Amino acid sequence: MTVATPPREARNQRSYWGNVFSALRSTAAGMRITFRYLWSKPVTIQYPDEKLPTDDRYRGIHYLEQDLCICCDACAKACPIDCIEMDATRHGKELEWHQFELDYQKCMFCELCVYPCPKDCIHMGKEYAFVTEDRGELLLDLLTWKGLTEQQKIRIAEAEARKAAKAAARKKKEAEAAEPPAAGEPPAGGEDKEDA
Amino acid sequence: MNLFPIALPALTEAAAEPPSGDVGNPATDFLQGLLPEAVPWWMLTLLGAGLAFAAVMLFVTVIAMFSVWLERKVAGHIQVRLGPMRVGGWHGWAQSIADGVKLLLKEDLAPEGSDKVLFKLAPMLVLATALATFVALPFAPGLVIADVDLGVFFILAVSSVTTIGVIMAGWGSNNKWSVYGAMREAAQVASYEIPLGLSLLPPILYFGSFSLVDASAQQAGIGAWAETSGQWFGMAWYILDPTRWLVSIPSFLIFFIALLAETKRAPFDLPESESELVAGFHTEYSGMRFSFFFLEEYAAMFVMGIVGVCFWFGGYSFPGITALEPGPLLTFLSILSFTVKGLLMVFVMMWVRWTLPRIRIDQVMSLGYKYLTPLALALVFVASLIEYFAFVIAG
Ligand code: SF4
Ligand code: SF4
Repeated sequence: MTVATPPREARNQRSYWGNVFSALRSTAAGMRITFRYLWSKPVTIQYPDEKLPTDDRYRGIHYLEQDLCICCDACAKACPIDCIEMDATRHGKELEWHQFELDYQKCMFCELCVYPCPKDCIHMGKEYAFVTEDRGELLLDLLTWKGLTEQQKIRIAEAEARKAAKAAARKKKEAEAAEPPAAGEPPAGGEDKEDA
Repeated sequence: MNLFPIALPALTEAAAEPPSGDVGNPATDFLQGLLPEAVPWWMLTLLGAGLAFAAVMLFVTVIAMFSVWLERKVAGHIQVRLGPMRVGGWHGWAQSIADGVKLLLKEDLAPEGSDKVLFKLAPMLVLATALATFVALPFAPGLVIADVDLGVFFILAVSSVTTIGVIMAGWGSNNKWSVYGAMREAAQVASYEIPLGLSLLPPILYFGSFSLVDASAQQAGIGAWAETSGQWFGMAWYILDPTRWLVSIPSFLIFFIALLAETKRAPFDLPESESELVAGFHTEYSGMRFSFFFLEEYAAMFVMGIVGVCFWFGGYSFPGITALEPGPLLTFLSILSFTVKGLLMVFVMMWVRWTLPRIRIDQVMSLGYKYLTPLALALVFVASLIEYFAFVIAG
């Protein structure tokens, strides 16, 4: 059996003094709560001075481990909006970097460029405050160095020297093997293709 | 027929002598010491008025700016935020100054189709009334610009002129939100004048005076009331008198609620309820004119708070202070205690504002007419009985 509920008006009706005291009581309760909050420690982070810690999987401005990158273009191909553009010249095993540009006007931080990288050398970074006054500055070059490093130059020189020595040795051999006919063309300037 | 009995003597040749009665105030007294004897009395009065005006203006501006900053700080911390933190270094103390400069530089706009005269006059009227109320406040023993016998009555009367300014602003703006805001203000203020005035009667009966100066002196135990100064370490405050708690506490509560409605503070901020009326009566105002309304709000809060302080919490008196010899130190400490008490009242108003939600207009009306007015009337009756019997017992 259901208990008959009184009509709405009757339920909401309090006596005059009941109203007065309930108003006083509820106001006092509310004021107590706000007073407690008044002295509690604010949760505000003073943003440019202090920053919230970013999550490990946070997707901020990319960073590139340039010495690992092989300029394979896989990341640029994976990018759904074509915002990566790279250019490097190959010197044997060494890469002379010209650019690895990311267009942050377009990038949506989808992380799709990160997965296909064969060398696992492009990552989503933690930096997110990236405000400029000029759109051009939103084209960010992720390269830490351009062109060739000193070690690379030394390594290239060494490789060149080795190659030259090899070529000279082969030439000598050929000359010994087939005396009379015309000497074969020396492998001219084969910097790139020789290696493959 | 002499319609202007006060102004007329100044126009006649007979004005070489000051009118009988005390025309002096601290400003003219101060000037009298500086200026040569030959300065005519009317010039002294004018200069004194100018000095008093400058002092009031400075005081009001500083208080209002501090209150604005305090409000934002209180609001912030109650919501577990920080409030302004940048301008000026320490906790954004210069935020109000920066805002003031910003408002000064804003364009002074008047909407199309507005009543230009009313529109431009309204903020001035509103601010002028707020400033005028300051002249009756006793800042320290003997430091009151105009010792009005009906001090509190004067303050209530002048501060209710604000309503007219608000209605002028609302009507002159040619904006329906502004008119709604102004109409709500009129309804609300008109209905809360009654409990406000009635709730002030118990302390008035207790002190036997409408004057804030008398009430303060009586509670501080100064002058004719020196014999009470030993009581409660010189705090013969109305609220501390246990024989009157039956009326003093409820009448203060009623006064405080009515005061919130008078000064348009939440939970009675219907005239400018931003969630429904944009900004109510000052929707169309910009720049300095807007800041006049702002200034008025905080000045009115302070004045009303001070009225409460003068009648219930001892005015400028503070334990230990009033025992001092009259002199600059006493004056300084009294002004300090007066200001701190006023700001404490303002703080409580802010605390209420950031606690309670805005109530509906019908609730405002029913609270005013069904609860505060009858209760205040009953309190006046009880207070009269108590004061009568106290008088009879005292002989
Ligand atoms: S995060 Fe997405 S949009 Fe940005 S560069 Fe990588 S693939 Fe392109
Ligand atoms: S996929 Fe990796 S290795 Fe290939 S170009 Fe991009 S970053 Fe370099």
